[in-house]
Amino acid sequence: MKVLRLTRATFVALTTAAVLMACQGCKSKPKPKSDAELGNVLGMQGGDINMGSARPLGELDMANQQRGMFSPVFFALDSAKISASEAAKLPAVAQYMKANPNKTLVIEGYCDERGTAEYNRALGERRAQTAREALVKLDVPASRITTVSFGKDKPIDSGHDEAAWAKNRCCEFVIAGP
Amino acid sequence: MKKNRVAFASVLFCCATVVFSAAHAQVDVVKGAGKHAFAVGGFSGDAAIAGQVTDVLKNDLRLSGYFQLSPSAGAEFVQSGSVRGEGGGGVEIECIVTEVATKRSVLASTYKGFAQELRRTVHKLSDDIVQTITKQRGIAQTKIAFVWARNGAKELAVMDYDGYNVQQLTYDKSISVRPRWSPDGRKLVYTSYKSSFPDVAEVNLYTGQRRRIASFPGLNSGAAFSPDGQTLALTLSKDGNPELYTMSIGSGNLQRLTYTRGAESSPTWSPDGQSIAYVSDNLGTPQVYSIGRDGGVPTRLTVSPAYNTEPDWSHPPAGSEMKPMLTVTSRAGKFQIGIYDADARTVIPVVADGVDNEGSSWASDGRHLVFTKAVNWRPQLYLLDVMTREQIQLPAVEGGASEPAWGP
Repeated sequence: MKVLRLTRATFVALTTAAVLMACQGCKSKPKPKSDAELGNVLGMQGGDINMGSARPLGELDMANQQRGMFSPVFFALDSAKISASEAAKLPAVAQYMKANPNKTLVIEGYCDERGTAEYNRALGERRAQTAREALVKLDVPASRITTVSFGKDKPIDSGHDEAAWAKNRCCEFVIAGP
Repeated sequence: MKKNRVAFASVLFCCATVVFSAAHAQVDVVKGAGKHAFAVGGFSGDAAIAGQVTDVLKNDLRLSGYFQLSPSAGAEFVQSGSVRGEGGGGVEIECIVTEVATKRSVLASTYKGFAQELRRTVHKLSDDIVQTITKQRGIAQTKIAFVWARNGAKELAVMDYDGYNVQQLTYDKSISVRPRWSPDGRKLVYTSYKSSFPDVAEVNLYTGQRRRIASFPGLNSGAAFSPDGQTLALTLSKDGNPELYTMSIGSGNLQRLTYTRGAESSPTWSPDGQSIAYVSDNLGTPQVYSIGRDGGVPTRLTVSPAYNTEPDWSHPPAGSEMKPMLTVTSRAGKFQIGIYDADARTVIPVVADGVDNEGSSWASDGRHLVFTKAVNWRPQLYLLDVMTREQIQLPAVEGGASEPAWGP
């Protein structure tokens, strides 16, 4: 794990604290530290997040993923229900997973932009979970399926019309693993 | 004034009273009413510095909502002062505020700071003026965290409350969203997709250190600090669909609060820390509910319009003239910001102008909001003074800014 070099990190941390303190009482003698230095600490310039607990599935090999093997499942506005016609796409996914027991399935949930940000993250997750439940009913082990919701943060189609929105209300199936 | 509408009864000068739960309270305030006429006389001394100080001071006083800038004739208060550049890049600002009626000087102070921090020094002066004259806490020294759309990624950033001094926090080239402040202003929690999955992460603004707080299978998002800073409320889907949980900061212990087939999200703590308002779509479209901090039976708050999300409780300081209020983002054609009226069980729109507005966050004064306004799908940040309903656009952020969180 990469971390900021200790000496520099400690130095800048202390000076940053001094700057933030100074803003509480500016009548005292000013500390010669600027917001530019504060930015250096805050920015971290690509420093890593200290990863605590790991996901039970482990970090997936995202470089080795295959997308586009299966048709996405589409949804109605504000809905996480899979219609009968969309459900017809799922047996192909289930069949592949059963035939390839070393693969993991990542179901990505997406929403169109006509919703608030955090609610769409929850809605996208529910879409992915609904697809997951349906696949479990088709005898894919739950332990080999994980979900990720992108809400409206990462639209598949960046357009702002009904055609784009319809594409963005979906679940995509991504195959990961060796 | 219209009856049956919540909120703001403006009385006399700035002694407006907000009544959250009293029936037939009033929201409507005559624009500009209740403001002190304040004449900024400017500063003698170095003209360049004086001009900058004057501009920042005027903007701060205007944004505070308490003052109407006026010529000295007819002003209730007049300001005078001087600035002086010191060796080593220091600046000294002397400021005197006089109450015209009594000829009494209500504020006479000297402020020292470095030239590159001039705005911050003036913000301190502005807050002192607000405090002295209104006995209310100013917001000029606060900061706003937000999501900055840059180069196809979403990064976290922090700016001064007036939109200046933008500082990028993350350089992950990933998705970093929904920042929320710790009550002491030292930390932010947010949702990070750096691992390819949505995790709850925390960044310490003093040390720059980050750590991952929640990374269970599925969704980890929407974390919000309790008022005592000891507990997070958050959304996890590790048990099958998005549910509301609390997590002890110290021990990491989880407590599940909700049990539904729908999605629970977007928790916000009540001012007393005893309950949590949140969004659930368990009965169809998303509505705002409230639940005790230890769980129990949820209470449904909003019933109409059909879509209410993004609840945010204000936490006005002790002694404030403002009462706690709960804002939501409703869909009524376009998205609009409203205040929940508990008695009438309705949402009173406060930002409803025919474009999409979402995601309001209260300032620590319990009077101002920051929110996202998207015109042609380009989000930028705006401030609202809920007393006067004045909207102010913050300086535009290249690429777009959204999901603001106003710091303590």
